[in-house]
Amino acid sequence: MSGKMNRRSFLKVMGWSGAGVALTGCDMPTTVTLEEGKEDVVSYLMPEEYVIPGVGVWYASTCTQCAAGCGIHGRVREGRVLKLEGNPDAAMNNGKLCMMGQAGVQGHYNPDRINTPMMRTGGSLTPISWDKALGVLEEKLGTVNGDRFAWFTGTISGHQSVLLTNHLDAMGSTNHYAHEVVNNAVSRAVNQDMLGEANPRLRLDKAKMIVSFGADFMGASQSPVQYAGQYAKFRTNKERGLLIQIESKMSLTGGSADLWLAIKPGTEAVLALGMANLLLNKIKISDAGIPADVRTLINTYDVTKVARVTGVAGDRIQRVTQLLSERAPSLVLAGAGVEGQAQGYATTAAIMMLNHILGNVGKTIESAGDFPFPQLMAKQGGTADLVAFAKAAKAKKLDAVIFHGSNPVYSAPKSLGLTEAMANIGFKVAISQFPDETTMAADLVLPVDSYLEDWGTQVPADQAEANAIHVQQPLMEKLNAETKGLGDILLTLLKQRKKDDYGQFEDYYAYLRNAFSAMPTSVKNDAKSNDEFWNTALQTGVIKVDAGTKTLQSTVVSFAAPVEDDNAGLTLLPSPRLGLFDGRHANLPWLQEAPDQISKVVWDSWVEMHPDTAAKMGIGNLDLVEVSSAQGSVKLRVVLLKGMHADAVAIPLGQGHEAYGRYAKGLGVNPLQILDATTDGKTGELAMYSTRVTVKRVGPADSLSIVRMGTGAGDSQVGRKLVVTVPVEQVRRTEGT
Amino acid sequence: MSLDNILNHWSDYRKGSEEGGHHDYEHRWAMAINLDLCIGCNACSTACYAENNLAVVGKEKFEKGQAMHWMRIERYWDQQELEHPEQGASFLPMMCQQCGAATCEPVCPVAATYHTPDGLNAQVYNRCIGSRYCSNNCPFRVRYFNFYSYYESSWPEPMEQQLNPDISVRDKGVMEKCTFCVQRIRTVKDKAFMEDRPVQDGEVVPACAQACPTSAIVFGDTMDEGSVVSKLWKKHQVERGVYQKTKLAKKDADLRGYRIFEELNVDPSVMYLERVREDI
Repeated sequence: MSGKMNRRSFLKVMGWSGAGVALTGCDMPTTVTLEEGKEDVVSYLMPEEYVIPGVGVWYASTCTQCAAGCGIHGRVREGRVLKLEGNPDAAMNNGKLCMMGQAGVQGHYNPDRINTPMMRTGGSLTPISWDKALGVLEEKLGTVNGDRFAWFTGTISGHQSVLLTNHLDAMGSTNHYAHEVVNNAVSRAVNQDMLGEANPRLRLDKAKMIVSFGADFMGASQSPVQYAGQYAKFRTNKERGLLIQIESKMSLTGGSADLWLAIKPGTEAVLALGMANLLLNKIKISDAGIPADVRTLINTYDVTKVARVTGVAGDRIQRVTQLLSERAPSLVLAGAGVEGQAQGYATTAAIMMLNHILGNVGKTIESAGDFPFPQLMAKQGGTADLVAFAKAAKAKKLDAVIFHGSNPVYSAPKSLGLTEAMANIGFKVAISQFPDETTMAADLVLPVDSYLEDWGTQVPADQAEANAIHVQQPLMEKLNAETKGLGDILLTLLKQRKKDDYGQFEDYYAYLRNAFSAMPTSVKNDAKSNDEFWNTALQTGVIKVDAGTKTLQSTVVSFAAPVEDDNAGLTLLPSPRLGLFDGRHANLPWLQEAPDQISKVVWDSWVEMHPDTAAKMGIGNLDLVEVSSAQGSVKLRVVLLKGMHADAVAIPLGQGHEAYGRYAKGLGVNPLQILDATTDGKTGELAMYSTRVTVKRVGPADSLSIVRMGTGAGDSQVGRKLVVTVPVEQVRRTEGT
Repeated sequence: MSLDNILNHWSDYRKGSEEGGHHDYEHRWAMAINLDLCIGCNACSTACYAENNLAVVGKEKFEKGQAMHWMRIERYWDQQELEHPEQGASFLPMMCQQCGAATCEPVCPVAATYHTPDGLNAQVYNRCIGSRYCSNNCPFRVRYFNFYSYYESSWPEPMEQQLNPDISVRDKGVMEKCTFCVQRIRTVKDKAFMEDRPVQDGEVVPACAQACPTSAIVFGDTMDEGSVVSKLWKKHQVERGVYQKTKLAKKDADLRGYRIFEELNVDPSVMYLERVREDI
């Protein structure tokens, strides 16, 4: 180990600074073999012991298709990764993997990957060598003022996040913008204030009843596979769990509800307050811990008023509330459609308050403990950072920005003016795998390895009961010699600033080996040597970490009263789906061809409307319409769907790319573009679900222009015994409770 | 199947599957799919694309019904009279039901689709001449025909490197369908044979069942009485060769197991468990 660093800075470099860290000896690995990941080509004339031509070998790694960070196994045969499965050792996904994870191989083998560094010369991006690219990078970043430098990423965790933060430090900057379109930033803020933890552990499996206000926890959520697994337990518990979904547009999760209730968009807070009123004043549950102003507010929401405002029938509200009081413990969840309102914080707080009243905190919402390595924890993205970034760029406060893992040019509403403001940033670097919109606007493009070629560690934000660091290792050699790993690029950037600290690491692999050797003994379990620990970590893909046990506080914060809005217009719901997600998977053909779970449309954009709403406007199924907001308009086909509130229209996210390769480019529309730039006052998050729109018919139905997986006969079973539904009482009788 | 063989065993061959059938089975692979756990998320379907070299056909060909989704999720709306679907959507994972008395088999003019000793409806790609009679005769609509050669369009370089070398890529003019991941069955059977032991329950996991986030799909051998799938079939009183619901007369008439289109006497190998809803 280099003598230039003291212990404290060493821990910081390695990402282990934090509570209760004890160092063991830090021996550098001296030899590197193929098994340990050095990328040598070995001929089959001298195959390694474990390589048998024709036989697949499974290696553990970590999925990065969304921010959840599930553990995966990749099947490797003849040096190629063929198939991904969930890693059974990873407690959060327990051997399972969603469609986005399955399609990871299509990103890796994508024909539109960037295979060479590029620099903008004379208006267009032209290929250059890595030496030149790194030279330019060193020169430009060497002259930039720290305050005027920034990183712009998606959610990032593990050692990549450590290096990124350390690079910001080295640059003298604190500007890290983390942006995710699909996020739970508002819930995190509410949880922090009410429970004392931003990411408490949700235990759907322990709940007897779930009331979800638009939380699509099995679809486009923070950890869909984990929550789907918990849902399976919730449904197969001795007493079958009861799911009630209240939302304005039927989500994937809503499709599985026992009772799906349509609610007027933007009135969820009123319903939550009405339910609180019933619980406190009618069912007489204690109001302990509720601030006086909130208590007074609750009293003003009687059932009649709530039913009138929300459009949910009064008897339904009473029945659901009654059930909540009877089936303890329950769990009340708030989803993106609630968080993304102009009063997102207040609405989410009103909903989370129900958990306090019902005594769910500590039962179905547990403390996630104290993760012992705060440096490695996920820096979770939101949209507040996108707004802040657009503002900074507009005000010409940034001279150099490095982008990775996020596509703000695509996902920023036009009203933020980001596309124009990008011109104010003198030097834009994109560390990118694909020619997406942001990459195409960059001045320097660095081609990055796919996650199946790269090293890394990921720390999921939504941890399972067993806390873990997930290890990411290359499953095969790079497809193209000209791409580099994210960690390697970060390390190179750090070497340019802090040669003394980072010069000793030949590459990111060497850095990680060192970091693992420096890991405190508490997480090394019984490993006899650092090599053994490293090998075990790679074999299992999971390093279990004890985060201890903690008790959550259960308090209620004061929040603003809902603003009554008599505007009878339509609200646009730009809804993310498991599949194309926030648009990042639009270049994966398997996901384009997988029918949307609810509407069953493929390869397109469409707008979902309730048949009654459409009929009033003279709009029929598959008609061409123009959806207009104050910010602009999009033209697309209508799909009539009864799983909609009459005052809402939904356009799925993901399409409308102006770049991003052959599969994504020029397909459908991007609803994010026409959103208002309204933000939630408390958190600064974009109110993505509050834009008012008008819909106008501009063309007739045309069955060829939108393609759906047909089930025929208006999607009815027409009496055939295909999917049979039976009442729960019958199952209790025959299969026992 | 020589003529002698047929003549000598004529009475056996005339047995329908309600009398035990005429096959000497080694295994009878089967599934149990719990529709109460299926959330319609498409994980199984995408896993199938990855495992079985399924071609992506694109929007225009999808519209013509030429998509190759061996495992597809059908979505039905019940309660159509209501203003909103208050009990959500009805999702149905649909793939080849590997019928014991398959209607696709006898109509093939070249015996390209036949019954294996594992109880599978195998498709011999090299023998298929593309008459599409089998597809026409399938009540489940789970046979997919290669109207085009998709090699160039579906796997542009380097996408072809992802292709599973354990199975072929089908070319124009050939019928294909779900095989219950026969390559995985084959691998496990070979391994068990080499180790001189029977195949264990849980050893064969098709791609769909492996991916399913809610573990709604259970796969196994109904000839192995200890297998999870056998126990589930037994628990729900679904039996091979027993058509219509004879259990209707029994005390536990309301058990959830059923096979789709049981009344057609095709003896499907997939048992579904009814979706459950609580009336509020």
